[in-house]
Amino acid sequence: MDYIKKQLPDSLTKTGGILLGFGVIIMGLAFIFTPQRAFFDYLWVYLFLVSIAVGSLALVALEYLVGATWSTPFRRVSEIMASMIPVLILLAIPLFFGLHDLFHWTHTEVVETDAILKAKSPYLNVEFFAIRTAFCLFLWFLFYWLITKNSEKQDIDGDVKYTKRNITLSTIFAPVFIITITIAAIDWAMSLEPHWFSTIFGVYYFAGTIIAALAATTFASIKLKEGGYMDSHLGNDSFYSLGTLMFGFNVFWAYIAFSQFILIWYADLPEETFWLIHRWEGSWKYVSLALLFFHFIMPFLILIGRNAKTNLGLLKFMAPWMLVAHALDLYWLIFPTLFKGSAAFGWQELSFPFIVIGLTMIVFKMSANKKNIMAVKDPKMEAGLHFHL
Amino acid sequence: MIGNILKKFDDKFLKTEPRTGKLYAVSALFDTPDQIIHAAEKVSGAGYKKFDVLTPYPVHGMDGAMKLKPTGIGWVAMVAGMSGTTLAFLMIWWMVGVNYPNIFGGKPYFNLTASIPIMFELTVLISALTLVGSLIAIYMKLPFNANPLMDTEFVRRVTSDKFGIYIAADDPKFKLEEVRAMFEELGSSAVSNIHEAEYDKGKTNNPLTDKKFVGALVGTAAATAMISYFVLNVLLFLPPFDWMHRQPKVLPQTESKFFKDGWSMRKPVEGTVARGFMPYEFKGMPDSMVVATPNPLPVTQKVLDLGKKRFDTYCSPCHGFYGKGDSRMRGQFPVPPTLHSQKVTNWKDANIYHVITNGQNTMPSYQSSISRDDRWAIIHYLRVLQRSQNAPDSDVEGK
Amino acid sequence: MSLDATYKREIPLVEGKTSFKEIDDVIAKPTETKPNIKWWIAIGISSTALMIGAVCLGLTFWYGVGLWGNNQPVGWAFDIINFVFWIGIGHAGTLISAILFLFRQKWRTGIARFAEAMTIFAVMTAGIFPAIHTGRPWLDGYLFPYPNQHSLWVNFTSPLLWDVFAVSTYFTVSFVFWFIGLIPDFATLRDRTTSGIKKAIYTLLSLGWRGSNRHWQHYERVYLILAGLSTPLVLSVHTIVSFDFAVSVIPGWHTTIFPPYFVAGAIFSGFGMVSTVLIIVRKVFDMEHIITVNTLEKMNKILLATGTMVGYAYAMEFFIAWYSGNPIEQFTFINRAFGPYAWAYWIMFSCNVFFPQLFWFKKIRRNIPLTFVLVLLVNVGMWFERYVIIVTSLTRDYLPSSWGMYFPTMYDFGILLGSFGMFFTLVLLFAKTMPVVAMSEIKAVTEGAQPTHLKKHEEEIDYRTQY
Repeated sequence: MDYIKKQLPDSLTKTGGILLGFGVIIMGLAFIFTPQRAFFDYLWVYLFLVSIAVGSLALVALEYLVGATWSTPFRRVSEIMASMIPVLILLAIPLFFGLHDLFHWTHTEVVETDAILKAKSPYLNVEFFAIRTAFCLFLWFLFYWLITKNSEKQDIDGDVKYTKRNITLSTIFAPVFIITITIAAIDWAMSLEPHWFSTIFGVYYFAGTIIAALAATTFASIKLKEGGYMDSHLGNDSFYSLGTLMFGFNVFWAYIAFSQFILIWYADLPEETFWLIHRWEGSWKYVSLALLFFHFIMPFLILIGRNAKTNLGLLKFMAPWMLVAHALDLYWLIFPTLFKGSAAFGWQELSFPFIVIGLTMIVFKMSANKKNIMAVKDPKMEAGLHFHL
Repeated sequence: MIGNILKKFDDKFLKTEPRTGKLYAVSALFDTPDQIIHAAEKVSGAGYKKFDVLTPYPVHGMDGAMKLKPTGIGWVAMVAGMSGTTLAFLMIWWMVGVNYPNIFGGKPYFNLTASIPIMFELTVLISALTLVGSLIAIYMKLPFNANPLMDTEFVRRVTSDKFGIYIAADDPKFKLEEVRAMFEELGSSAVSNIHEAEYDKGKTNNPLTDKKFVGALVGTAAATAMISYFVLNVLLFLPPFDWMHRQPKVLPQTESKFFKDGWSMRKPVEGTVARGFMPYEFKGMPDSMVVATPNPLPVTQKVLDLGKKRFDTYCSPCHGFYGKGDSRMRGQFPVPPTLHSQKVTNWKDANIYHVITNGQNTMPSYQSSISRDDRWAIIHYLRVLQRSQNAPDSDVEGK
Repeated sequence: MSLDATYKREIPLVEGKTSFKEIDDVIAKPTETKPNIKWWIAIGISSTALMIGAVCLGLTFWYGVGLWGNNQPVGWAFDIINFVFWIGIGHAGTLISAILFLFRQKWRTGIARFAEAMTIFAVMTAGIFPAIHTGRPWLDGYLFPYPNQHSLWVNFTSPLLWDVFAVSTYFTVSFVFWFIGLIPDFATLRDRTTSGIKKAIYTLLSLGWRGSNRHWQHYERVYLILAGLSTPLVLSVHTIVSFDFAVSVIPGWHTTIFPPYFVAGAIFSGFGMVSTVLIIVRKVFDMEHIITVNTLEKMNKILLATGTMVGYAYAMEFFIAWYSGNPIEQFTFINRAFGPYAWAYWIMFSCNVFFPQLFWFKKIRRNIPLTFVLVLLVNVGMWFERYVIIVTSLTRDYLPSSWGMYFPTMYDFGILLGSFGMFFTLVLLFAKTMPVVAMSEIKAVTEGAQPTHLKKHEEEIDYRTQY
């Protein structure tokens, strides 16, 4: 391999800073004029960042767990994507000021008169919510720190023991991830409609996070490869599996979404259907249909062929597409609680792309400059670089 | 006996006679994958077209070495799969949406959500079967057991542990000595000439003139027909078990030795009234009182719609859709009278009600089939019909 | 996955230095020799079980399904339990042959053929139950939409009809996939055999295959596409089976996690059964160096993973039952764990979630006798999972006045026994008449089977990726 460490350009931080600043201004104005809506926007941003960051960490763990070879050149990119996790801890703090605006179940006077919410209050109360949030963030940070530390140490001496340690860590992280992401999904998205429940909800969000993480990794890797920041031996065939996994998890997402939909539609119980009806009222209908077409049908048709997955130009187009689709998915999950009857997208919501893109650019650059963009001494690196179909 | 049969099989399938037909190909065996890749590159590089490499398992990189075009069989799966989806969609849509609509669980007749599972299954089924069918029949042109390569030492080795290559004798560049020399030079462990069998020439290749083949075909067709007939016309129409049907219970309309009147069916207790069912309220009343009873229903669009529905169901088979007595039963049945006669027009509503309830002449009682309110609604509708058929000029707008 | 493993060259799939000829010899041996006494004992037992089942089934047809324990309120019992159980068993075969193929897991090669065959036999066994549970199997033709004399069409809104399509598609595609894989091996056997009748049969089955690379080229792509088609298919089958329950409003059945939960459970139970059979087969046919301990260890890892997924589903069901605030759902789950069928629940829970956790330890994963015990427990646990789901929900649903208990009769047990008899009889016949390991695939992954210039980097992978 001929990888030589190259610093990412400073323009990344500058552009990111401008975008982030712009986004923060929009959000600040939103907080002044429409505070409740601003908190929903903030939750949207936050969940999207969780998807990318924690999903990327899960991807790294998954690759260790199954002993994948092809993924070795991309692993560090996923690790850098996961470096958003420490930032997430800070970003969680403002969220707690908005609990009253976001979550119906925090209104004690309502809970008193609502038998169902009252029955749920042992779980849905602010103290326990805070404990769970802290628990999830702590575990994510812990595993992020442990796994990336080992990975970076390996850059120095290439010792195999670090890989083995990470395999053990990843094995433990697998159940931890499933449990924490389920808690996150239930707490931050499902409890927005506290009367509604669905056992598959954790799996639904999990599928989304992996798609987001794969898309982010794919996009960043292609950009880095084009900029000459990665090893020159990295060929198009190596990207095949990224494309395949993106395709596969997208089908998995659709499968989970369809399972949830058909069961609720078929049984037709009012205690479940109202959640779907909210997403079919007025212009929400078009958001739902857009989700179906842009999150599943079109990516499915575009990515199904074998050649599509080795075509970097197409992948560079499809990866942001899937990120937008995931943002739409989260919008569809979060906002019907606020905009009842019809969907809305105002200037307040424009903060989402600015903050997400700007923050990701800054964090990515800061993290990437501190370490190698490729795990240079990973024992599987050479084989991963020369992966052929 | 069994020994004899086995012996016959041995004679037919294991005996190989020396082949004396014309030269089919020259073959060469190699021991390692490297050698065969090299040989394939050499042969394709030399411009031979009718050659093939035979290996016990797919060797990586052989397609490139043989200069083969990439396979396009993926498109077969794609096209077949999409046809499967469409076919399933159209099938379900037509069967339950058009031809035989029924409500199940309050869902629409045809609904996409509930159709998706079967659409998916048929996509996979049709795609897989078409794919495999076309692989075998079109892309590989199998079954082909008459190939002269069959039953040679060459094929026997390449299906087990050696790597083989052959160049067919009808290749335009084929020269026996050159080919043999090239194979020897490449380090082949066994170069041999493969001849066609002598009997190949005389034997006709047209299976349609082969008695056994035609016989088997006819036999299969006959067996299939008989089995289908048996399944569709006999098995599916076997009566259900009657021993489950015969049970110690009384059936309606049968005799009972238990009850004094000898009937299995019981009459309701005297004076009871079934839910939603009113007894005939004019029983025993003087005629004048009956006639004076007004229609209890108001004349509204809803009532008229109900009346039309009931009239079309119960009355129109004999009286016709317009009450003219010109029904579809005409000629098969005593012709019922028109309802536009002076008599009926002058009747009070209650008179008509009486006739519907109790019947008249050949008309039976409709007491049990049309509810009380429905009868009154029919009468309102009948009045509409009468008016429409005898409309005075004043009804026409503008007069 | 484990700490104490060392980086070393992958132990080859086929242990020891084996030539292609030797591979043929070992794999073809059962088809070319007279069965040994172990085989006769095994088939004796299994065919006896099959006969018992056949007798019970015959009596059922004669007297009607009243012979079974099905009664109010449990109208669905052993018939559906056994159906779901056997369909689930089938899933492992497709997973091994298709999904692991797509994931380029080479270790699957030694067991793929066998697992595929088990899929087919399991689906055949499963197919019996929906056919007989109506009591009138000769009327099953009505299940298919054909233009009949009554001018009726089937109910396309019913998940039971989806089952008909799913199971028949699954069987057909699995069968085709299996047969395609067998063609090169039939050709090998055709060219080896010394018996005329076998030669006739193998000639017929091998379709004149001669290993041409012009064929391999298309063949390989078709194999890949079939694997790609089978993967969503296998998911859809158990998903649709789960719809049979989940679209209804019976408490404990209607929950959205059912589809993935059933799929995970199916793969789990299937791997349990594949392991059970493989451990027996490698002993009976002396194939310890082809179906290696490494392979079994990897299967144990998958058992651990899927068992934990099933545990996640159990936990989610319990949590959401409480969280939903629906008293009937809450009661159903309390009733499962502590009601009259608590014994079944705890058998299910311990066999499916608790005992597989022992596979965290490498020593246990590589211990064949212990693995055998654990996979047997998995089989038991997964049968009881369906028992718990079906029986506990039906015995106590909404109206306490309609509660009742379920008591299976000896005919129920007889048919269950018969289903095992049928499955194992078919497995044993298969193992004796066909190559139980894909010879052509095994050859392709032995050392030195591929050209060296392409192999350079791949060998490096093999050195380092096996832990």
